[in-house]
Amino acid sequence: MNLKQRWKGFLFFLAIAGPGIITSNVDNDAGGIATYSMAGSFFGNRLLWSLLPIMIALIIIQEMSARMGVVTGKGLSDLIREHFGVKVTVYVLLAVILTNFGNVIAEFAGVASSLEIFSVPKYVSVPLSAFFVWLLVVKGTYRSVEKVFLYACLFYITYIISGILAKPDWAEIGKSLVRPQLDFSPGQLGMIIGLVGTTIAPWMQFYLQASVVEKNIPVKDYKHSRLDVIIGSFVVTVVAGFIVLTCAATLFKAGVRVDTASEAALALKPLAGKYCSALFAFGLLNASLFAASILPLSTSFLVCEGMGWETGVNKKFSEAPQFYGLYSLLIFLGAGIILLPKIPLFSVMYISQIINGIVLPAILIFMLVLVNNKKLMGEHVNKKGYNIISGITIVVLIILTVAYLVTLVA
Amino acid sequence: MSLGAKNELEKKETANKAAVAETCPKMFVYFSELQGRALIDSRGRTVGKIDDLKVKLGELFPKVTSLVVRRRRLKKLSALDWAEVENFNGEVISLKAEAENRFSPLEVGREELLLRADLLDKQVVDTSGAKIERVNDIHLLTANKELRIVHVDFGIRGILRRLGWIKAVDSFINWLFAYQYPEKIVSWKYVQPLASDPKANLKLNVTVRKLHDLHPSDLADILEDLNQANRSSVFKTLDLQTAAETLQEVDPKIQMSLIEATPEELVTDILEEMEPDEAKDFLAELPEERMKKLLRRMEKPYRENVEELLKYEEGTAGSIMTKDFIALDRDTTIAQAIEEFKNVFHPLETVAYLYVTDEKKRLVGVVTVRQLLICNTQEPLKKLMNPYLVKIRTEDPVEQAADLFNKYKLLALPVVDQENVIQGIITLQDIVETRTKEL
Repeated sequence: MNLKQRWKGFLFFLAIAGPGIITSNVDNDAGGIATYSMAGSFFGNRLLWSLLPIMIALIIIQEMSARMGVVTGKGLSDLIREHFGVKVTVYVLLAVILTNFGNVIAEFAGVASSLEIFSVPKYVSVPLSAFFVWLLVVKGTYRSVEKVFLYACLFYITYIISGILAKPDWAEIGKSLVRPQLDFSPGQLGMIIGLVGTTIAPWMQFYLQASVVEKNIPVKDYKHSRLDVIIGSFVVTVVAGFIVLTCAATLFKAGVRVDTASEAALALKPLAGKYCSALFAFGLLNASLFAASILPLSTSFLVCEGMGWETGVNKKFSEAPQFYGLYSLLIFLGAGIILLPKIPLFSVMYISQIINGIVLPAILIFMLVLVNNKKLMGEHVNKKGYNIISGITIVVLIILTVAYLVTLVA
Repeated sequence: MSLGAKNELEKKETANKAAVAETCPKMFVYFSELQGRALIDSRGRTVGKIDDLKVKLGELFPKVTSLVVRRRRLKKLSALDWAEVENFNGEVISLKAEAENRFSPLEVGREELLLRADLLDKQVVDTSGAKIERVNDIHLLTANKELRIVHVDFGIRGILRRLGWIKAVDSFINWLFAYQYPEKIVSWKYVQPLASDPKANLKLNVTVRKLHDLHPSDLADILEDLNQANRSSVFKTLDLQTAAETLQEVDPKIQMSLIEATPEELVTDILEEMEPDEAKDFLAELPEERMKKLLRRMEKPYRENVEELLKYEEGTAGSIMTKDFIALDRDTTIAQAIEEFKNVFHPLETVAYLYVTDEKKRLVGVVTVRQLLICNTQEPLKKLMNPYLVKIRTEDPVEQAADLFNKYKLLALPVVDQENVIQGIITLQDIVETRTKEL
C-alpha cells in the first residue's frame, strides 16, 4: 500500500467517524486507561470476563441515547427537564456536574502524570494544558483539532500489538471469559464498578445524544447511527480488553501494582522496549487532552440546556454568562486541584471512575422512563429485550454499589 | 371645604376601596404555588389535588377554563370546569355544591393549552427579545373570579421558587451582598408557546401569529436555535413571504433540514416568493435531481429567471445578479415610468435606479428615482437620463463588480450581455453578502 492510498484510507475513517465512534474514543480517557491498567495489574485476567457483559450493556445503552436523539431532536437534559420538571432536573444536574467534575480532575491528573514521564513538573504542564483546552473552545478552533485527537487514538493499537507480543496465556484468558469469578472483596467490587463506570460513563449518554441531535440525522437514516454506535462500542471494549490483558501479561506477572504512569507504561515494553514510557506518555496525554476539551464543554451545554440558559461558543460572555462561567470553572478548578502537592494522581483517576459507576444507574433510570414514553418516541419506544438488559444493568450496578459500600465500611 | 369634611371624605373613599377589594380580590399567584393544592368541596372535604390548569388561547391574556385534578393517587387525571369554583382567595380553592359529581375526562381541544404539560419547563419564543427561553413559572392574575395568564417567568427566581430555596437564597444573598436577585418576567403578549409534540398536534398553528411580528433575520436565528421538530412545525406555519425571507437568512445546513421536512408544493411556492438570486443559490446547493424536480414544479416566469441565473459560472457577475429590476424604453414618459413602478407587485431589492433601453433592449442610460420625482412628468426618459453609466458584463468576475461599487459609490450595478442587453442588476446588498460569505 503506498502512502497516497493509506492517506485515503484515513480520510475514509474520518468520513465515517460519526458521534458513536467519537464518543467511544473519548471514552478511553485518562480515567479509562488508569482503571484498565489497574484492573490488569492488580487482578490479572480474573476480571476480564466482565468486559463482555459491559460491552453488551454499552451497546444497548448507547443505542438508546442515539435513538432518543434522532427521534426527539432534543438533548437528554432537555428531555429530563420537560418530563420530570425543574426540581428533579436541578438535582440530576448537580449530580452530573459533580461526577463530570471528577472526570475533569482525572483528565488533568492524566496530563500531569503523562508529562511527568518527560520530567515536566505538573506545575507547568497542568496550567498550560488547562489554558490550551480553554482557548480551544473559546476561540472556536476545537473542530479542527478534533481530527488530530481522533488520529492520535490509533495509539491504542499499540496495546493490541504489545499484548500479542507479550505472549499471554490465551487458554487462561479463554477460561476467564467463560467462567466469571468475583470474590466480593472491596477491591474487586470497587474495580468492577470502576470498569462499568469508565466504560459506560454517565457523561457519554448526554454527549452522544447531543452530538446526534447536532447532526440533524433524519429518522429514516437512523440505521447508520446505530451501526456507528455498535462499531464504537465494540472498538472501545476491544481496546479495554487488550489494555487489561497486556497489563496482566506484563505487570501482573512481574508483580507490579500500578500506582504511577511510569509503571503503567511498562505494559508497552514488549512492543516499544525502552521507548515504552514515551509511547505511553504520548497516548495518555492525547487521551487526557481529548477528553478534557470535551467534558467541560459538554457539561456546560447540558446544564444550560436543562436550565434554559443561553449556550454556544459563538456567543459573547455577557450573553451566556452561566455557560462560560461553568465551563471555565470546571477547567480551572479541575486543574487547580491537581496542583495540590502530593495528590495521588492514579488514585484520583480511578476513584472518579467508581463515582461514574455509582451515578450511572440513576441516569439510566431516567433514560429508560423517557425511551419508553410512547408520546415522545412513538413507534421507536424500547423493545422488550432492551428494557430487560438495561434493567439488569441498573439492578446489578445498584447491588454492586451497595455491596461495595457495605464491605468498605465493614 | 373644611378640614373635617375633607377627612370625612377620605375615610369614605378608603372604606369604599376596601369594600371593592373584598368583593373582587385582585391578586397575582404563581402556577407553581397552585400546583398540588387541595381542592375543597362545599362541605369542606378534599376532593383531589390540582395537577394542571387548562387555558383557552386567543385572548390577549388567556383565561383558565378548567382545573385538571388528580382525585386519587395513581388514578387518571380528570377535568372540572372553572365555573364550578365557588371561591378562590389565592390560598384555598373551594367548589360549588355538588361540583364533585361534575368531573369529566380530560380532553384538550384546538387552541387549548395545559399549563404544566404544554408550557411549564418547555421552550417558548420571547418575541420581545427575539430569543428562545425556558418557562420556569407562570404568573397568573385572579380578578372577577377569573384566572388569567399574565406573565411568564424565565428567571432564576422562578427556578428557586419551585425548588423551595427562594427564602434561603434571598436572605443569604441579601446578607452577603445586600442585593436581591431580580425577577425576569415577560408579559404573555410577547410569549409564543411551541407545540410540545410538534409531530402529533398542530393546534398551536393558529396562534404562531405572534412570531410574524419578528424580523425575518431574528426569526432565522430562532429557527436555528430550535430543535428539528419544532423548527419545521414553526416554519410550516409562516406565510409564504415570511417563509421565503426567513429561509434566505438561515444557515445552509438548516435550510436543508427545513426543506426536507416541508411538502414539495410549499417549497416551490416559497422558492417563487424568494428573490431569484437567493432562490438560485439555494437550489444550487441541492442534489441535481432534487433541484430539477423543484424547478419543474415552479411556474414558468420564476423558473426561467432561476434557470437563467443557474447558467452563469460561480464567481462571475452573472451568478450573483438579481432579475429584480426595472428597465424601460427610452421613449417612455416619466408619468408612465412612475405608473410602472406602482405596478410592480413584489418588493424590489432596490428602487434606486431605473434603467433605460433602446428598441433592441440595449442599455443606453439610467434615471434615478429622485429625478423621476422632481422632473416634468410629460418628458420622455431619454431627455433626462444619464447616458454615461457604469455597467459590468455577465462573465466578469465578482471582484470587478466590488471594485466598481467601491469606486463609484453605487447602490446597484447593471449587468449586460455581449450585445449590451441588460440581464440583471447587482445590488450593494449582493456584494456585501458575497463578501461576508468569503470571510
